[in-house]
Amino acid sequence: MTAVAPAPAPPSGSPPPPSGSADMAAQVARRVLYFAISRGPLVVFAALLVYLSLESEFFLEWRNIKSILRQSAPDAILASGLAVVVMAGGDDVVVGGIDISIPAAATMGVGLIADQLVGGTPLFWAYLLGALAILGVGVVNAFLVVYVKLTPLLATLATLVASVGMYKWAINNRRITVLENDFVNEVRDGDFLGLPIPALITLGTLVLVGGIAHRTRFGIRMQAVGGNRSAAEIAGLRPGGYVAASFILASFCGVIASIVLISRGSGISPGIEERLLVDMVLATFVGAAFSPRRVVTVPGAVAGAILVKALGNGFQLIQVDLFQIGMIKGVLILVVVASSALVGRLRQ
Amino acid sequence: MATTADSNSNALVMSDISKAFPGVQALDNANLVVADREIHGLVGENGAGKSTIIKVLAGIYEADHGSVWVANEQLEQLTPQSVHERGVRFIHQELSLVPYFNVTESVFMAQEKQGVFGLATRKMRRQAEDFLANILGAEIDGRTLIRDLTVAQQKLVQIARALIDGQARLVVFDEPTAVLGAADINTLFGNIRELRNSGISIVYVSHYLSEITEICNRVTVFRNGVDVDTIHLGEEQVNGAGNVVSGAANGSVRQAEIIKLMVGREITDMYPESQATPANTVLEVDGLSDGIRFVDASFSVRAGEIVGLTGIIGSGREALVDSIYGQRRVSKGTLAVAGKPIKLRSPAQAVSAGLVLVPRDRRNDGLVLDMSVADNVNVATLEMVSSKLGWHRRQQAAQRADQLVEQLDVRPRRSDTIVRFLSGGNQQKVVLARWLTTDSKVFVLDQPTTGVDVGARSEIYALVAQLAAGGAGVLMSSNDLAEVLGICDRVLVMVRGRIVAERETSGLALDELVALTTGSALEGVEGVAS
Repeated sequence: MTAVAPAPAPPSGSPPPPSGSADMAAQVARRVLYFAISRGPLVVFAALLVYLSLESEFFLEWRNIKSILRQSAPDAILASGLAVVVMAGGDDVVVGGIDISIPAAATMGVGLIADQLVGGTPLFWAYLLGALAILGVGVVNAFLVVYVKLTPLLATLATLVASVGMYKWAINNRRITVLENDFVNEVRDGDFLGLPIPALITLGTLVLVGGIAHRTRFGIRMQAVGGNRSAAEIAGLRPGGYVAASFILASFCGVIASIVLISRGSGISPGIEERLLVDMVLATFVGAAFSPRRVVTVPGAVAGAILVKALGNGFQLIQVDLFQIGMIKGVLILVVVASSALVGRLRQ
Repeated sequence: MATTADSNSNALVMSDISKAFPGVQALDNANLVVADREIHGLVGENGAGKSTIIKVLAGIYEADHGSVWVANEQLEQLTPQSVHERGVRFIHQELSLVPYFNVTESVFMAQEKQGVFGLATRKMRRQAEDFLANILGAEIDGRTLIRDLTVAQQKLVQIARALIDGQARLVVFDEPTAVLGAADINTLFGNIRELRNSGISIVYVSHYLSEITEICNRVTVFRNGVDVDTIHLGEEQVNGAGNVVSGAANGSVRQAEIIKLMVGREITDMYPESQATPANTVLEVDGLSDGIRFVDASFSVRAGEIVGLTGIIGSGREALVDSIYGQRRVSKGTLAVAGKPIKLRSPAQAVSAGLVLVPRDRRNDGLVLDMSVADNVNVATLEMVSSKLGWHRRQQAAQRADQLVEQLDVRPRRSDTIVRFLSGGNQQKVVLARWLTTDSKVFVLDQPTTGVDVGARSEIYALVAQLAAGGAGVLMSSNDLAEVLGICDRVLVMVRGRIVAERETSGLALDELVALTTGSALEGVEGVAS
């Protein structure tokens, strides 16, 4: 189809694209910079891993890898939950999706389960009670964020403080040891098909939660809501439901994590939620560097958790001071977060 | 014209639609009738009500009154879902996409296809690629991320999303070319015609009258919330040589007709007399480009002069203003205030150089809504109400604010009122008051009367005139053309990223200015030249 009337040639064209060799060089420099910044955290992590494996022969032994997988399970499971909330709410930590209450809720569940088991409650009922308590926190989070419209950071800070207060009060802020419980011991020490049971539980979480978030209609819509809320609304989606679901899914991850946590600690030691929180956040956002699109994903979060734990393990093997490891972790968080902020700026 | 006038085959009838917002009657018994298989233009100045009626159709606004038929079926309750079910689709002006989604996910957003094992990813990808290639003529890999596409390709993805389910009967294009270059516009027009030929009715909302006369069969003109007229632009016909002769053959005549309908009002005496006695140049902009939204902007503003800057959506006007104020990076060009070249990297630098901005989004950028009038007035000039050591002198601050509130007639006349509770006009006065007592040389006013009622408007105009009379240079960016003519001494017109015209406003008629901003006047000039 050809029109006789001339095309509505605009009075003058749009601004021309930059040209010339100076601009070319600038563009190349920009690309290099972009790559360096966006992949920077991964390069730093890879370099650290290589360094650790050179320093300690034991680091890459299967026995040690199994131990890393076992140790990283709670972080990986909690990070999967946080990843879902970030995907549904957007990756702005202040106004977007964040749930800092998951580790505290899981710890509260652990406290409840331990208390019940020691008190003689049958296994099933003890775990069910713990699960309900953790899911309850998720429901409260969803309510506060979606209906009361609190920012997720404030809402989950509130439920974090409340959960910690509640379990410390309930167990008198003392350690409860669960001994001679076959299920608890099996989850802690058992292997199946050559893999530690906590690692298998992580794998199961990855398949289930990652599958829901990345391979279902619901999950894709949830990501659309997090990626561009107004676009999702225009497309006819109701964002509130997806955001609410993300908080409940996150608390479900808390339930799974509590099963691993009570076994690993043979009960509960008050205060474990603090370190879990730091590792969860670190793992989730480090994980974004693993995803091809450079966004937070469930597989990325799991990989991030294992990587972070591997580094901690490696530093311990070469006898770096525990507090120094904390310091190194802090710097790594900074590298990751600064990188994602800079990538965002460069894209503009 | 048989197809367009037949009332029994209308794709859309909106009749007697009214919608009021606080202080504004946005739609006043407005009508819009779109026939089957036609491309129907919708034009009007800013605030004429065209976006409001589109939002009523989309189910985003609820009309106070009126009825809507889609394909001869009356819709009682318009919700985004109910209109979607009836096959009404919207191609929104802003690219409503998720940057890190790929093409397939974007096309099928909220309408994903489910396979036996989860999502039918491969099937969706094939369909999306086929649709883009066969219907829209664009070869795009379904796995490409949105952020890696050109703006034109993103537009196509949006269109594909609206049409992929094959249920579309009426598609509303809202300013689709605002973000596109000339070649892409032609491709888009080809696509729109194809859609029409395949039986889909089109509503085409645009400021570019040349586009309207080229592509539309009919056009409805809105003014002040009312549809003032619907004009036939003629049908496309195939002539002996097999070429399509569109209604655009007499485009410029039709454009003049449309402009007359759009304007149709008198400029009232709400504007103060111009007292311009321009002196030395206070703002000199030379060859400013940001490489994306505007190129090669050059102009100057002299002391005592009010210079208007106008241009429709996509003209780059807002970006240019942001760059002048140091909020947006420039790639080329220079800027001098009172003869002194400055490299702007932040608004703070602009202020210290004597260049101040009254921002277009005053609620977000201009005011701290939960602070008092006094605090807002004093925030930029705290050194004037502070001791040498930086101690805040509350009493002095309050006095100064009281004076300004008095002088500007901010109502209520209490400087301790929280700004959030003031009307739009009074809020704007507070923003202006902030800069009044500074010895700034250049005032950049960015749409200072948006959302301001008529009474407060004329007071703001008087203030602006007073600023100029006091020896400042004023650059006023506005899309209200009557306002530009009324208050400015000169006007700069931007079209698609360039300043294409500079005119004295005395003796310039409103329809001439409309013709300049919509590009139709210039097209005529180019037509003669070619």
